[in-house]
Amino acid sequence: MLDGFGMDTITLAGPLEAKLAAMADAGFRQVMLSARDIVGNPGGISAAVAAVQDSGLRPTGFQVLRDFEGLSGHLHDYKVDIARSMLEMCAALASKVLLACSSTSRHASDDLDVIAADLRKLAMMAVPLGIKVAYEGLSWGRTVNEFTTSWDVVCRADCPNLGIGLDSFHIFAAKTPLDSIEDLDAERIFLVQLSDFMWHDTPSFEERMATARTFRVFPGEGVHSEQLADMVLRLHKIGYRGDYSYEVFNDDYQQLPMSVVAERARRSTLWLSEDVLHRSPPLPAWVAQH
Amino acid sequence: MTLQGPDREAVPEQANRLGIDGIEFIEYATSRPQALGQVLEAMGFRPVARHRSREIVLYRQGAMNLVVNAHPDDARVSATVDGQPVISGVAFRVQDALKAHTRCMALGAWDVPSHAKAMELHIPAIRGPGGSRFYFVDRWKEFSIYDIDFVTIPTVDPAPPALAGMRYFGVVQYIGADRSADWIAYFERMFDFGLIPGDKRFGILPKGTLMHSPCNSFLWQLIEPDPLMDDGETLECLQRLGLGVPDVNAAVGELKSRGVEFVESARLHPEDRGALTRTVLGAVSFELVHQVE
Repeated sequence: MLDGFGMDTITLAGPLEAKLAAMADAGFRQVMLSARDIVGNPGGISAAVAAVQDSGLRPTGFQVLRDFEGLSGHLHDYKVDIARSMLEMCAALASKVLLACSSTSRHASDDLDVIAADLRKLAMMAVPLGIKVAYEGLSWGRTVNEFTTSWDVVCRADCPNLGIGLDSFHIFAAKTPLDSIEDLDAERIFLVQLSDFMWHDTPSFEERMATARTFRVFPGEGVHSEQLADMVLRLHKIGYRGDYSYEVFNDDYQQLPMSVVAERARRSTLWLSEDVLHRSPPLPAWVAQH
Repeated sequence: MTLQGPDREAVPEQANRLGIDGIEFIEYATSRPQALGQVLEAMGFRPVARHRSREIVLYRQGAMNLVVNAHPDDARVSATVDGQPVISGVAFRVQDALKAHTRCMALGAWDVPSHAKAMELHIPAIRGPGGSRFYFVDRWKEFSIYDIDFVTIPTVDPAPPALAGMRYFGVVQYIGADRSADWIAYFERMFDFGLIPGDKRFGILPKGTLMHSPCNSFLWQLIEPDPLMDDGETLECLQRLGLGVPDVNAAVGELKSRGVEFVESARLHPEDRGALTRTVLGAVSFELVHQVE
């Protein structure tokens, strides 16, 4: 019943192997991998890659490339180098999706065509590695801070392996109307990250950042449950059948046993798949064989 | 000369921003160069020169240059697939190799570091599918690149004629499931390849997506895994060469007399339009395609 939903490594505290084991024990079959968890692995990157393979969990994606687009000159060259390293790690982990977040840099251009051209380059870099790039608008992004704008940029770039990543937190924080989901092409949504938080308003970029980085909760635990259910149903309606992952940064969860946090994620998934999406239980094995 | 024959209408020329003008050479990497050499010789290629510093032999017939790279660093890519030879590079003739390389890098290509030793040519390259490379060569009119990096093998004809009029027709690239759109966009952006309408086919293997080079002198074929075959993750690679011949039956006859075997099943067998050689050394086959002179 947990198919199509997964946790992010960033939600749990502890070594990578233990995080993966806690997710698998809770019944999840996929994991959103953070570069920090891979690089910070005591055994090094190759041991981290082996741990992911051995866990049996499928990578939902790899995160996160920051502040890539809109730069020029040596800043652009520097970020291209960073992006290449991120793409190589993403490929080593057999992850098919790289998450790139909209730029917060004051040095970046606000010209949407310039932003689109840079993302097109990133997408071309990703083609030989078999990777799709999911571009996500941070709610404190300097130019792109709503999914309506990230979608505009993705359309301008016009690359089949460049799509958008949606994050419910940023949508609720920026109060972007959910009606705009109807304008999206479900085939070009490469990742949907879900989380909620505990208050209604986050007017300033500073408040959004502080909440986003320390006090997100799982779907069903916050004050936007109705909107979150509405968002998931709208995505289902336009034909989105891709992955959902829980991008839950929470300081409390960082000091709880992993099994306790993974159980909260499991409860959240049951709420989403049974109460919200009314998913059918999987058919018995003998049906699939015929 | 174009693949479609002489133009009868004044159709606007497509963009060719790299000035691509055909294939300069094809490179195979293998840890078993002698075995591959025998296969190539049966196909009409002759060894004509050896690389000065690396274990590389240049084969040639007619206008086709083909290098067999057995240098340990390069042949490693072959060792990873049980010693099977792999098509490890395609060199495009371009207007200006440096400009071509710079433009591709700006568009998001991956650089390949050069291993040129003293007095050897640095041929700029970018990474292709799998472990392959795309090289850019601009010295092919005034002099030959092979005169610099290679030493002619004594007593052999440096310019052996092509068997049965064979020439490079195209390259077949295997790609992952649902990857056609990605690779089409890649080749359109990088090299100005153009998409060929789905109903226009060549040869006897009518699968996949066909693209043509901006110079119209070779084709590129993208083939996804068969959706009915559950073979899981398929690696992407340059799979085989297509060779154009004016008369397929005559070419098949001539090659058969040299010991080349062809796939002859009820579904797939030599026809006027084309023929496919049996795979040897685990991975090497050639596709003959009827091509009007």
